[in-house]
Amino acid sequence: MTMTIVPVAHARRYPPRVTEFTAPFWLNLTQGLFSTTRCRSCHRLSFPPKPICPHCWKDEIDWEVLPTLGSLYSWTRIHAGPAVFAGDLPYVVGIIDLEIGIRLGCSLVEQREPWLCDIKMELVTLSFADGPLLGARPVSAIATH
Amino acid sequence: MAAARLSVSRRAVIIGTSAVPVARYQTTPGKGDYQVVEHEMLARLVIDAMKDARADRTEVKSIVVAQPRPYTRQQYFSTFMASYLKLPCSGIVMEVLGNGMTAALAFDKALDEVMLGRTEVALALGINMETAVSAADHMMESMRKTGDVDFHTPSGFTPISWYALDMMRYMHEHKVSRADIASVAVKNRKHASLNPLAQFRKLVTLEEVIAQRPIVEPLGLYEVPPRGDGAACAVVASEEYAKTLGVPYVRVRARSFFHEGAHQINDVPNDMIALDAAATAAKAAYQDAKVVPGDIDVAELYAPCTIVEVMASEAAGFTSRGGGAYAASAGETSLGGRIPIATSGGLTSRGHPSYATPLYNVIELADQLRGRAGERQVENAELGLLMNELGNYNAAMVHILEACR
Repeated sequence: MTMTIVPVAHARRYPPRVTEFTAPFWLNLTQGLFSTTRCRSCHRLSFPPKPICPHCWKDEIDWEVLPTLGSLYSWTRIHAGPAVFAGDLPYVVGIIDLEIGIRLGCSLVEQREPWLCDIKMELVTLSFADGPLLGARPVSAIATH
Repeated sequence: MAAARLSVSRRAVIIGTSAVPVARYQTTPGKGDYQVVEHEMLARLVIDAMKDARADRTEVKSIVVAQPRPYTRQQYFSTFMASYLKLPCSGIVMEVLGNGMTAALAFDKALDEVMLGRTEVALALGINMETAVSAADHMMESMRKTGDVDFHTPSGFTPISWYALDMMRYMHEHKVSRADIASVAVKNRKHASLNPLAQFRKLVTLEEVIAQRPIVEPLGLYEVPPRGDGAACAVVASEEYAKTLGVPYVRVRARSFFHEGAHQINDVPNDMIALDAAATAAKAAYQDAKVVPGDIDVAELYAPCTIVEVMASEAAGFTSRGGGAYAASAGETSLGGRIPIATSGGLTSRGHPSYATPLYNVIELADQLRGRAGERQVENAELGLLMNELGNYNAAMVHILEACR
């Protein structure tokens, strides 16, 4: 279940805040592991990780490391972005439907081939100079970094 | 789950409107001899709209203002405007904020004040000034409105990128081309050419639309909203009071709202391009008004991009799923067509001063239903649909408006 770690030379453009509660997610991500919370009562997953279950409102949850295969629900290449992302333009983001039933949005690792909806994807750890972010790339991608 | 809808006996109506043409008005403090300030512009509009309504200012007991952008220097804008206009109020004086629905909420809350009997006349005001702030700097704020600010924003999502994501998916599922969807921009520019309030009035061809530089693929410059400033005022009143004025008015025949309980990205996968909230709210409004989509004569949708008009027109029941782009390219949604949509020119051409935009849509429908839309008049327009839907923020508010002449 370990993800590929893709190094990125610069720091994150808009670093996330880490809370005492979400710290395990970021620590796991640094090590190439995707994790989120599962409710002890109704057993449903939620993402981003939450200290409560949004489905049944119970407050006992467990962290779980999860498999990271999925498909590309949609994608776009952004040519006009916020000031802090100016150095990255254009960049690609997408929506990934994981096989475990979670949908999330993240950066896509740019490729030469055209992007297509429904292609098989895997999550990766983007390892920036100051910490990790979640990313995704096609399953068939050959690491070029 | 059904959408909440109108259930009081007292009816609210629109009796007066005014707005400035959408344009670039905002100035940068310290640059140039003179500045443009929001309250001077808005105060003139209130007086114009009240003249249009022929209403007595002493009947105004409620003022609801769409919260201006953070760039507006004057703060606590609603009590400030009440002071600027010397309007003591016993109903409410407040600002509202709710994503792109902000000015629709000002309109809706003004209607509530009338329906609850707190006032005979209420003002709904909106002003949006942002063009002196660069798009890249503006997006430093707007990116924080996308998804979860710690789990999505760091990847560089922007509000408009979500519509691009919708469009990629739509093209994939419905096998519809970018050009078919882009025909919406050509159609709306033609409508805007007839609207004195529109920001862009020069006709464009489909080839010109397609040739523009990409903003968020597959959307190019003419398929996304231009940045603009604007200000608008709607005067609403009880129907009893409106009848004493002897002016044509517009009755709010139905109102509905729905939010899916999902903000932009739902970790439980849903059909992102169905706009379920819009479909649910529209259905509730039709039921409440005892009409069907085919009864509507003209519609104004909150559709920042071409693809949003396509998806929203499907959700409103004007066209079949997957048929929205073809309906536009076939002229069905043009002036003179089966169901004219965005006769104002829509958000891409009339303009999109975001926190005032829904009031511009109210004004367009009020003009159509009061028979004073000039060259873009829809003949015998009796029923109008106002839909403020929030795309992947998964909320929608619908008002069905009716001509009373």
